[in-house]
Amino acid sequence: MELQLGLALPGSDTWSRPLLKLGLYEDINVNSKKRGFDHGYLEDEFSAASFKNYEKGLVGWPPVKTWRRKKLRCQVHNHMTAAENGCCVGRASNSTYVKVKMEGVVIARKIDISIHQSFETLTTTLMTMFDIFDENRRSFKLTYQDKEGDWLIAEDVPWRTFVRSLKCLKLIRSRGYQ
Amino acid sequence: MPKRLAYSLPDEVLEHVFSFIQSDKDRNVVSAVCKSWYEIERWCRRKIFVGNCYAVSPKMVIRRFPQVESIELKGKPHFADFNLVPDGWGGYVLPWITEMAGAYPWLEEIRLKRMVVMDESLELIAKSFKDFKVLVLASCEGFSTDGLAAIAASCKNLRELDLRESEVDDSSVHWLSHFPETYTSMVSLNISCLGSDEVSFSALERLVSRCPNLRSLKLNRAVPLDKTANILRLAPQLVEFGTCTYSAELRSDVFSNLAGAFSNCKELRSLCGFWDVVPDYFPAIYSVCSRLTSLNLSYATIQSPDLIKLVSHCPSLQRLLVLDYIEDSGLEALASNCKDLQELRVFPSDPFDAEPNASLTEQGLVAVSLGCPKLQAVLYFCRRMSNAALVTIAQNSPNLTRFRLCIIEPNTADYLTGEPFDVGFGAIVVHCKDLIRLSLSGLLTDCVFEYIGKYAKKLEMLSVAFAGDSDLGLHHVLSGCESLRKLEIRDCPFGDKALLTNAAKLETMRSLWMSSCSVSFGACKLLSQKMPRLNVEVIDERGPPDSRPENCTVDKLYMYRSVAGPRFDMPPFVWTKDEDLALRLSP
Repeated sequence: MELQLGLALPGSDTWSRPLLKLGLYEDINVNSKKRGFDHGYLEDEFSAASFKNYEKGLVGWPPVKTWRRKKLRCQVHNHMTAAENGCCVGRASNSTYVKVKMEGVVIARKIDISIHQSFETLTTTLMTMFDIFDENRRSFKLTYQDKEGDWLIAEDVPWRTFVRSLKCLKLIRSRGYQ
Repeated sequence: MPKRLAYSLPDEVLEHVFSFIQSDKDRNVVSAVCKSWYEIERWCRRKIFVGNCYAVSPKMVIRRFPQVESIELKGKPHFADFNLVPDGWGGYVLPWITEMAGAYPWLEEIRLKRMVVMDESLELIAKSFKDFKVLVLASCEGFSTDGLAAIAASCKNLRELDLRESEVDDSSVHWLSHFPETYTSMVSLNISCLGSDEVSFSALERLVSRCPNLRSLKLNRAVPLDKTANILRLAPQLVEFGTCTYSAELRSDVFSNLAGAFSNCKELRSLCGFWDVVPDYFPAIYSVCSRLTSLNLSYATIQSPDLIKLVSHCPSLQRLLVLDYIEDSGLEALASNCKDLQELRVFPSDPFDAEPNASLTEQGLVAVSLGCPKLQAVLYFCRRMSNAALVTIAQNSPNLTRFRLCIIEPNTADYLTGEPFDVGFGAIVVHCKDLIRLSLSGLLTDCVFEYIGKYAKKLEMLSVAFAGDSDLGLHHVLSGCESLRKLEIRDCPFGDKALLTNAAKLETMRSLWMSSCSVSFGACKLLSQKMPRLNVEVIDERGPPDSRPENCTVDKLYMYRSVAGPRFDMPPFVWTKDEDLALRLSP
């Protein structure tokens, strides 16, 4: 169906003069390709900037109000029931407490992962928890065990992936890294 | 009736007749009958609703309606709720308050939604309106407890203070204590959005005890459980109550105190809150359950068996908000117990996980549709759907007026057939003839929009995401939906052609939002030039749109009809035309 450019209300008999001849619009890039997750569709170099939020997932999707998300997240933070579960998974059981061990330390600790938004804050909290001074920070590496039981280096994956698959944490002394 | 008779009625009589006409639509029709009716009507209109605060200027409103007592204003577009509107976009209420302070000294009610409200505005309200009664700030931001203190201290006839879902900064002022001891008029108080430090419990208790007309009280989560019973005993006349924090373990003394307090509340019809609730406490509210018509459990992270038990005690339920922990089994129980159900909202407990968190599928909604003949409004988040289910829902719930379905993963197809949901949503618009609000999701082609354009004649608001194949989709909607007022679209391949073809339609709507679509800057400029009563705003944080070729697509587009011309409070990332019909950077 060829659309005629005009300004009249739909269905009205008196069409105002077409805005411009159709020909003038030939060079407007009306892209009819489906645009969903398909980010191969980047029609100019400026589009890249608009996806800056993509690594965190789509902005504003699913459409849950920010206010509601915040309240629910605060709430999960208050759940102390996680304590009984030892190494517990973030999502399935409403609890966000995760066991943390440090190499060479007998007693494990627990940390609430839901109050953290980045590796930065997490690492800082852990350093404080295990009394590691700033200057020694670089001699430790943060590793985690994921749902499949594999041990991985925490900062190798995006934050979101890390939180979702996290089972427990371990601080190890990094040997010869850096 | 002879023409003369209309003029022979004295103004006072006409005014008296008009006082029975409350709806804005009817009032607008009345004012269009003739010049003298217009004059009489404008002097006696007491209530104004402005759906978009930029559609008209405060001065224009005041000029036409000099004796207003109640005003409702809405600011940011709906998608601001989902972080799609950058901070600083606009929606400031101060210019309105400033003008009204001078013009409407007898203003009694202000209701705002998605607006930026500074403390300065609240202080001005407190100072300027001697008989101020109602303040509702829904999803607003920009103010602190300082502003609230000003309201509390000065508004001695305040009846309603509702801060639902607003962001309030804590200025460490014990604002509740600013209500003088002589103040007794509170009828409705909603402070559920406040943080723990912002409410002094003893001040709250004193306030509740001296307000005998208090009907609705929604507390914030900082009030501990053992105090809840105290509050309820002070206000057994409550009709609506928002509970506070439940403690982690069951204590029998707290439990029996709570149960006793609830059993005194014979008027209680609506409960919400339930932050951090532990299901062992639910039996404490069983005494009121049989009378409950509204229950909001959407912050309660409790599992299906406990939800089922609770819901089975509430046969009079008309409205239920709940998390997907209710699962299909819970919704089946709801369908068999609650035959008066009119509204159901099921929210996702973990919206960002690809894996389902709970066993909630399309079956739950189908069960409710089959079991609850009065179902009118649905908001449903799920991870799978079928056309067959949608058709069943459409056929069994023809009275639906609001249907919002969110299949969490974009572009998800019918899990049984692999097909798009065109037929399913098509059935919804065909059967639900009174549908006024619709939100689409899942895999959808242009076909669904053809159905919507053809059948959804009463549709006023449509939300679309990740759908359609071409401009034809948008064209079907704009050319077919006669009652369309608000259209919001994201991530769809809709572009210039459909917009330019249907440009005139855009002036019949309140607003159109399009983000991550295919509308070019050139088309925006053209629309701007040709439609003087349409404000076309391009929101683009990448930089000035005229630094790129005209055929480049814009990031976000918000256009709305306005008689006030372009606004002057735009931030640097919003572009619109100026008087010279060329786009410029805002100052």
